Amino acid sequence: MSKDVSRLIGYEFEPYRFVVERGKIREFALAIEDDNPIYVDRAAAAAAGFSDVTIPPTFPTVIDMWGGPDFFALVEALQLDLLKVLHGEQEYEYLGDIYPGDEIQARTRVADAKTKAGTSGGMHLITLETRYANQRGETVLISRSTIVERF
Amino acid sequence: MDQQAAKPDIGQELPEVKKGPVTHTQLVKYAGASGDFNPIHTVVPVGEQAGLGGVIAHGMLIMGFAGQAVCTWFPRKHLRRFKVRFAAMTRPGEQISITGRIIEQVTVGNEQRLRCEVVARNQHGEVKLKGECEVAREEHAE
Repeated sequence: MSKDVSRLIGYEFEPYRFVVERGKIREFALAIEDDNPIYVDRAAAAAAGFSDVTIPPTFPTVIDMWGGPDFFALVEALQLDLLKVLHGEQEYEYLGDIYPGDEIQARTRVADAKTKAGTSGGMHLITLETRYANQRGETVLISRSTIVERF
Repeated sequence: MDQQAAKPDIGQELPEVKKGPVTHTQLVKYAGASGDFNPIHTVVPVGEQAGLGGVIAHGMLIMGFAGQAVCTWFPRKHLRRFKVRFAAMTRPGEQISITGRIIEQVTVGNEQRLRCEVVARNQHGEVKLKGECEVAREEHAE
């Protein structure tokens, strides 16, 4: 069964805030087993051109999952079938550095929503775009997540 | 600008990064670190009920592996864009390797960048995700 998902385009989620913590960065790097010292060691980060330790490339997922609507809330807001939903694509654009102590405000909206037909059933593709600004109002990151709902 | 700066090594393969086998413990750690507590990643009976035959790794964990590889190939400071498409599920016990290749040089604004392909595969060569990254060229960054 198909439905019109294009009505979702432009839908905006409640903005959310997240304070980047040094320990959270370390915990995330440890979970991935990413041993790059720039995430835990200030001197190594400084040698790599950063003013403090910085975040691994996929750390923004921490900001979303701990600060924003969780997966279940997302699925409910978008009226998707939880059991048929997959994370299809993920993109990050890095515009500025993110450091411990930064207060990030994130705003998510549905940037695109379309339906694709296939031979063994179709899928809805919903792209969420999140813009992350720091405490100085600088947009430091943009994320685009494409959620796939099979039908 | 010297000759080398003008001609990046288009087509150059980037050194493979091999990760240790994904473990249940790692998925629990990643759930806590990332805040993604979807139980299909950590609770075996839930994964079985969902028809997955057990738990599956968070796709973002595998993207995290790929991000680690990217930042061994290029300085983190130079990373501008990173995009992947998830292709297959990963289960505990699978061992992921990340390979990459420089595809082309692109100019974005005033900045010259290298665009690279990034692929994560398991020990049998099954593609788990495929994507690309853009990094500022060493000579032009900052």
